[in-house]
Amino acid sequence: MTVLPITIAVLVTGGVYLMLQAGMVRIIFGITLLSHAANLVLLAAGVSAWRGEPLVNRLDADTAADPLPQAFVLTAIVITLAVTVFMLAMAVIGNDDDTLHVPDTGEEHTQ
Amino acid sequence: MTLAWLLVALATVAAATPLLTRWWGRNAGFPVAAAFVGLAVSVVPLGRVVLDGEVVTESVTWVPELDVSLALRLDGLGLVFVMIALLIGALVFVYSTRYLKPGRQLDFYLLMSAFTLSMVGLVLADDLILLFLCWELTSLASFLLIARSGSGGEAASTRTLMVTFVGGLALLVAVAVTAVATGTTNLTEALTSPVWADEPATAGLVAALVAIAGFTKAAQFPFHPWLPDAMAAATPVSAYLHAAAVVKAGIYLLLRFSAAFHDVPLWNVMLLTAGLFTAGLAALFAFQKTDLKKLMAYSTVSQLGLITATIGVGTEAALKAATLHTIAHALFKSGLFMMVGVIDAQAGTRDLRRLPPLRRKMPWSYATVVLGTASMAGVPPLLGFVSKESIFTAMLEAPGPSWAGPAALAAAAAGAVLTFAYSARIVTGAFFDGPRDDDEITEAPPLLLVPAAIPIWVGLPLALGVGVLDVPVGQAVRAMAGAGAEIPHLSLWHGFNVELLTTMVVLALGVLTVVRRESLGRRLSADLLPTDGAGVISFLVRRASLTGRWLGDLVEADHPSRHVVPPLAVLGLLLLTGVWALGGDGTVPPPVEGLWTWVDVGLLVLVTIGVVGVAVTDSRVGGTVFLGAVGIAITVQLFALGAPDVGLTQLLVEMLTVTVIMLVLRKLPVRFGLPRRPHRRWSLVLAVLVGSGMGFATWVLTGRRERSEVAAYYVAESKDVTGGDNIVNVILVEFRALDTLGELTVLGMAGIAIVAVLATVRQHLLDPGTDHQREPSFRPRHHRGRAVDAQAHAALTDAAANAVPFRLLLRVLVPALLLVSALLFWRGHNEPGGGFIAALVASIAVALHYLAQPTDVSVGPPALPRVLIGGGVLVALGTGLVGLTAGSFLAPLSGYVLGTKLSSSLVFDLGVYSAVLGLVVVTLELLGAPRADQHGSGAQQRAMEEAR
Repeated sequence: MTVLPITIAVLVTGGVYLMLQAGMVRIIFGITLLSHAANLVLLAAGVSAWRGEPLVNRLDADTAADPLPQAFVLTAIVITLAVTVFMLAMAVIGNDDDTLHVPDTGEEHTQ
Repeated sequence: MTLAWLLVALATVAAATPLLTRWWGRNAGFPVAAAFVGLAVSVVPLGRVVLDGEVVTESVTWVPELDVSLALRLDGLGLVFVMIALLIGALVFVYSTRYLKPGRQLDFYLLMSAFTLSMVGLVLADDLILLFLCWELTSLASFLLIARSGSGGEAASTRTLMVTFVGGLALLVAVAVTAVATGTTNLTEALTSPVWADEPATAGLVAALVAIAGFTKAAQFPFHPWLPDAMAAATPVSAYLHAAAVVKAGIYLLLRFSAAFHDVPLWNVMLLTAGLFTAGLAALFAFQKTDLKKLMAYSTVSQLGLITATIGVGTEAALKAATLHTIAHALFKSGLFMMVGVIDAQAGTRDLRRLPPLRRKMPWSYATVVLGTASMAGVPPLLGFVSKESIFTAMLEAPGPSWAGPAALAAAAAGAVLTFAYSARIVTGAFFDGPRDDDEITEAPPLLLVPAAIPIWVGLPLALGVGVLDVPVGQAVRAMAGAGAEIPHLSLWHGFNVELLTTMVVLALGVLTVVRRESLGRRLSADLLPTDGAGVISFLVRRASLTGRWLGDLVEADHPSRHVVPPLAVLGLLLLTGVWALGGDGTVPPPVEGLWTWVDVGLLVLVTIGVVGVAVTDSRVGGTVFLGAVGIAITVQLFALGAPDVGLTQLLVEMLTVTVIMLVLRKLPVRFGLPRRPHRRWSLVLAVLVGSGMGFATWVLTGRRERSEVAAYYVAESKDVTGGDNIVNVILVEFRALDTLGELTVLGMAGIAIVAVLATVRQHLLDPGTDHQREPSFRPRHHRGRAVDAQAHAALTDAAANAVPFRLLLRVLVPALLLVSALLFWRGHNEPGGGFIAALVASIAVALHYLAQPTDVSVGPPALPRVLIGGGVLVALGTGLVGLTAGSFLAPLSGYVLGTKLSSSLVFDLGVYSAVLGLVVVTLELLGAPRADQHGSGAQQRAMEEAR
């Protein structure tokens, strides 16, 4: 019995559901949930039975958590921030995407 | 003078053209021509070595991992082509000084000299990769030279590029197959490899690919249309590229690979049939043309067909004939192209129907053109006669059944009759027939005429003393057919034989076409085909792009469900069934004890509430609140898992994300608008499938092992290696700094992409005025003319007054946050903190400062985000380069300053800090409220649009 897989299942379910909806903002919300889930999967791979903080000066070798997945997740969080912000900028461009109207980018397209 | 220096010198000439053209304008052609002649002279000592039967090779290692080197090799064949490229080039450059309009003409001289460099590199290359690179460079130079001739050249240059890139791709595949099959990228070794004899299938494949590549460059059917198309380019370009160089690159390739493929049947058949067919067809087209330049283009295609077919015969005599005709053709055709330019410049037209009889007004031009066309038609005693005779000799040796030789000779002879016919038409059309209004026309200035005439007139003494060419051509053939090859001697007079008889028949029939030229011209003037090559290429390109659009429509969608549903469904099924199969046979070890705590359960409940909320709500703000709640729960979960750094980062990122979402939501409608019920139901089914699959997989595949070696290493050793206590941080900035550099770059790219994308969108489309529509709907109540609750109203509507307490608070808060940020940054090596977290804290200070303003203000100067992002990436890269001194990229350097151990990773972390801050500043600047001035201009634009 363990809890993290259930949390992950809930997050993925919500994320996938939102990703399938129309409208950029919902898709962004869905991807945010999915990244939470992915981060938890990475940490679960480091075995959640050991939860000691990986700081050498207060380290207990028996309970210390695996630091490598943590480094991965830290990187992933910051990249998620970058991607989310970028997608939010795209959502602004499509600010009337719910009305099925293609926004005018102001560019002239010649065939 | 070594070969490498020859290339360096040519590159220097190309690099000097901006200066030369600045000083001398179009006269820059003189120094360039002088340099080319000088270089040609300087090659002579090497040439003597080559003519004595030696080979000059040089090699510089280039990519040792792939065993690719900058290998150069000068043999007889290379020498012939180097001399053609340099000497004809020099003449064309002199000619250009008078042909081009006065002015700087930088692009012309730069591209032409760069082209010469790539052409010489091509014929000197002794490495397949180098050969391919130079091949593509000649294609590009040719494309640019056609494209520079203005709007008329645009479509033509694109078509040329399409065709030559087909050949480039074929050559690329051929090079790859050759390198794999022979195990070397050295050209000489590859061509003499025994593989070609042992594996006929490979030999056939590569031979066909090389032949296609050669056909595209040398304008052989069905790739020929680009050459007439390319006549949009200026005449000097045509004279050089389309008579002497680019097209000869195709011939060079075919000749060079003859060494390996001269007895591969597929090679013989392809070259012979395509060459002879092209020779005849193009000669017919040439006769139909009245534009002299188009005529010359088709004539070139036809002559190249003759050479290609001769190469296809593959015997020593044939290769000799092909080489000789290549030289002869380069001479007379470049001269004739330039003469067309002379006629065009003097008479104002190059249309045969409109040209007056020029022979009295332009006697020297007349004599030169007659000589050039006579050489082209194969009239004795000119070089074209000698080479065409030897081609006829070669045709008789065509491999295959006994009728192949005579048939090939007959086809070549038929082409030769047509060649005579169109050659004569040039002379009669330009100098005899036509209306008589030639008062204005004068002979061309010497500087225009002489460079055009030289290559033509040289053909006369060369033919009389053709023995001079015996050694160079012989050495060229030995380069292809082996050092011991028996080379027949060249001579003007071969005695009475079949070839001479053929020539006499050709000349007799040719003269007949001249006599009957009027009726013949009438009969042949109608178009033979409903369209021309350019039309076919355009049609193919149009079809291809239509097909592409159709294919694109299949997967195009306004929301991603069409893309993501199939992979997600497959993923869910795979996870469930795959993991089930894996866990079913009892090999999965039991879970470790103590994987969960009661905190996890509490957080699961919170996360579930948040996820359900964000999924079902119709309000954007509501969704954001639920999303933030999930984020906070996840943060707590991270702390609970013993990841303080990750937890801190998550918390700060969560705050920033919510801030940015709120900024964005101001520009969006209030509600999402819920989708139809069936859509929601199917979404939920798929979501549950994937979600349960992920959960199941996580349960089965994680938490069932002992501590990994890597983890044990980090826990035990990282303090000693880096001196840092915070293992996660030292992994980020020292052990796996390359990952972090990549992440940094992604961050920077996101920021710059936002700037770039939003810069293309008009401001009023980003801010469609929703602010005004969403003004608070209540008005201050009035009682007897006085507002009631005026203060309450002001607190809600007056932004300036509203933000006062906030700003007061920030006077304390911002410095405190910046101090915290600095502390976090400093202690990151040993305690939770580091560049990311510190930068996120500083970002929050920036965001608070921004949010506290009553109107939109700039966070900093406009260039600030770019400086922060670019500077951050550069600092990180610079630290990495400094690390090279310590052994490897990004290797940390450390030392003691004032008793504290400092590491260069701190500087790296500073780069991280700067880039993260840059991204946040960009976001606030661009996604925040519109500026007053920008809004004004947006409104102005709208007004202007309405007025239109």
